[in-house]
Amino acid sequence: MDALSSTLFALADPTRRDILARLADGPANVNDLAAPYAMSRVAVSKHLKVLERAGLVTRGRDAQFRPCTLEAAPLRDVAAWVDDYRRFWDRSIDALDGYLKDIQKKKKRRK
Amino acid sequence: MIDIQSSSKEEPIIVMTRTLDAPRELVWAAFTDHVSKWFGGRGFETLACEMDVRPGGKWLHVMRLPNGEEMRMDVVYVEVTKPERLVWQNVDFGKTTKHPASQMTVTLEALGNKTKWKLVARFATMADRELANRIGFAGAIAEGNDKLAELLKTL
Repeated sequence: MDALSSTLFALADPTRRDILARLADGPANVNDLAAPYAMSRVAVSKHLKVLERAGLVTRGRDAQFRPCTLEAAPLRDVAAWVDDYRRFWDRSIDALDGYLKDIQKKKKRRK
Repeated sequence: MIDIQSSSKEEPIIVMTRTLDAPRELVWAAFTDHVSKWFGGRGFETLACEMDVRPGGKWLHVMRLPNGEEMRMDVVYVEVTKPERLVWQNVDFGKTTKHPASQMTVTLEALGNKTKWKLVARFATMADRELANRIGFAGAIAEGNDKLAELLKTL
């Protein structure tokens, strides 16, 4: 998987998005992160691995706690895509609006 | 400005709306006949535009982007209900995971001499479903009600 695909994959899961939102508050270890969920530490660790592979989370070296830290940079690509889409249509509809005004003016003149 | 809603986390869609100051028949004509006059907007040059506006008909559109690159759009019409509803989708909708293949539904609602334009972009394949989640995620960011939104601003 390329970097973008692994980011997409990582973001596809609501639990992982939730974990990212929690890490936005600051670093946390697996136990902290697992606490609010009805799932095992192992399951949460699996989610963290996916986030790590996507470059969205880095983990500290401390063997016991290995705190997780959010790396938000890949999210910029995410936001950029929607923005590109919106901008394309924003520009297009602006141009359409102008075009519609022009032809209506011309019609009036002809009358 | 377009009003955009991309916050749906359940459905892989983006919804855009805008009210245009023209009667519906005219807006319909602009979407089905005079597309090359406005599609893409400023800085986009239409190199080719072939439209066969009927269900199953194709729309091939080639544009030159402001950066000089060419962009080719290959879509097929799914539904054509004059003058209110136009549905088209990528020729490879549901068949490829390479790019965000999508289905677009344009609805035109007559408001006297004005027209409410609504576009629903729906994404389909597995990869696109992930993409849709990404859209939902970005939507949350756009709404500014997510802690991540604040964080993104600092990047």
